[in-house]
Amino acid sequence: MVDMQVKIGSLTLKNPILTASGTFGYGTEYAPYFDISRLGGVVTKTITLEPRQGNPMPRIAETPGGMLNSIGLANVGVERFLNEKLPALSDLNTAVIVNVAGNSVEEYRDVVATVDSHPRVDGYEVNISCPNVKKGGLAFGTDPAATCDVVSAIRKVTAKPVIVKLTPNVTDIVTVAKAAQNSGADALSLINTVLGMAINIYTGKPRLARGVGGLSGPAIKPVAIAKVYAVAQAVSIPVVGLGGIMTWQDAVEFMMAGADAVQIGTLNFVQPDGAIKVLEGLDAFCQEKGLRSVRELTGTVRVESSSSL
Amino acid sequence: MKLIQSELLSQDEICPDIFRIQIKVPEIAGICQPGQFVHLKVTEGIDPLLRRPFSIHGASVEQGTLDLLYRVVGQGSRVMAGMKPGDRWSILGPLGNGFNLECDFDHAVIVAGGMGSAPVLFLIEKLLAMKKRITFLWGARVCDEIFGVKKLTDAGMDVRIATDDGSRGHHGFVTDLLSEFLKDHAPNDRMLGFVCGPEPMMAQVQKLALPTAFPWQVSMERHMACGVGVCMGCGITMTSGLMQMVCKDGPIFDLREVDFNG
Repeated sequence: MVDMQVKIGSLTLKNPILTASGTFGYGTEYAPYFDISRLGGVVTKTITLEPRQGNPMPRIAETPGGMLNSIGLANVGVERFLNEKLPALSDLNTAVIVNVAGNSVEEYRDVVATVDSHPRVDGYEVNISCPNVKKGGLAFGTDPAATCDVVSAIRKVTAKPVIVKLTPNVTDIVTVAKAAQNSGADALSLINTVLGMAINIYTGKPRLARGVGGLSGPAIKPVAIAKVYAVAQAVSIPVVGLGGIMTWQDAVEFMMAGADAVQIGTLNFVQPDGAIKVLEGLDAFCQEKGLRSVRELTGTVRVESSSSL
Repeated sequence: MKLIQSELLSQDEICPDIFRIQIKVPEIAGICQPGQFVHLKVTEGIDPLLRRPFSIHGASVEQGTLDLLYRVVGQGSRVMAGMKPGDRWSILGPLGNGFNLECDFDHAVIVAGGMGSAPVLFLIEKLLAMKKRITFLWGARVCDEIFGVKKLTDAGMDVRIATDDGSRGHHGFVTDLLSEFLKDHAPNDRMLGFVCGPEPMMAQVQKLALPTAFPWQVSMERHMACGVGVCMGCGITMTSGLMQMVCKDGPIFDLREVDFNG
């Protein structure tokens, strides 16, 4: 038996497999396809203070090995989340991490404050990296000072673990990672989607109504691995890796690059029980390697010559 | 809703670029309703990455089979067209809501254009079993795309055809047939309308349907990622201004409530 437990701040996960925000609804939508309680945890759709319909259609487009989305944080808003969605998770025997966003520092803080006393909330993921909204999102995640403001404000209203989700759309992700760490983040998750665009050459229009969107899926995996590697070297808090994981081998790769846990995103759309397949494969790999704990994989990549990351 | 490996039993090209396939999937065939769809992963690999949604075109509970009808339009359907009996693929379904046939009606007025015939012919099977009177207005680009009409007329249906090139039936749009029908038949509240086809056609049917005295159900189509209401990618705008997801809230909607300009 391999010990699959990992720790994210004060939160102990039964295994390192989480679902990525925006790809797993409010936590129960995939219940018909597998036992969600087998997962290490679920990360909810981003929750904002007010309900949002999101951006105009079309807001998804398939590209080679990936997909672009410009959903724009469509969600039911914190009140309905608290009253309708959280109670539905009461029987779930896995960690529930609520992903939050806002137009301002105060909105981020208020979403957290609104749900913080609910016993089903085990922690937060702070979305400062959504490329699909005008205000909030990326504006915070690309500026270390703004990152500090958001994380510090949230830190003041909760004692639960706070994971800060980083964008790859910056010159130096390590600067933002350190800013989050220094403001009290318990962990970091990366990467959010990569800014992308696709054009229909017959109409001359972008394939997303909004023009640009966020690229996810296997196409971005090498980008994500490089960012996880760079950040894990530079910070002392846990790193949750994501970006294009389709197989258990991908999960192992993220952990070797320095991730303590991983998130499954676009794979959920392709294969609703994909996250469980990743978990089973990861477990089997650890057994085959004779590891006592899955934690022994983290950061084991050996880079022979010095990197200039 | 089930996620299963299914086996392709047969594939026929019924006219250039339009294929009918039959797959063995008793778990879905036994429970699906006309108007619902399945989400197929046409390759094992990552290109194309996403599943493809297909309306259910027919189902046999006894045989445990499902029929799909599709036109080759892109990468996914091109891969499908190359598949052979015995090939296997992952199928998710049945998804979405079927046509609502619980309401009180005697006479079904059905308008289909192009591949809109895929769910509609499954619907017709069900309506025939329910012994409903059926008027079927069927539009296509060319006559090749109209098939199996004799079976329908033999079953006592009123079938009227329009083709873009005039190769069969009325030379023009299926919506012309609807205008004519509505002129000749005083619409009454014992009728129930159904429409599925290209969006401009459905928008035109909506205009014609608005003044009629009976309800209309429309089957909508969108590109989809998840198919189960999670990714929020397949939205349509309603006249109320609200957005609804085709995969989960639909694909069947009240025709009067869809904002085709939204």
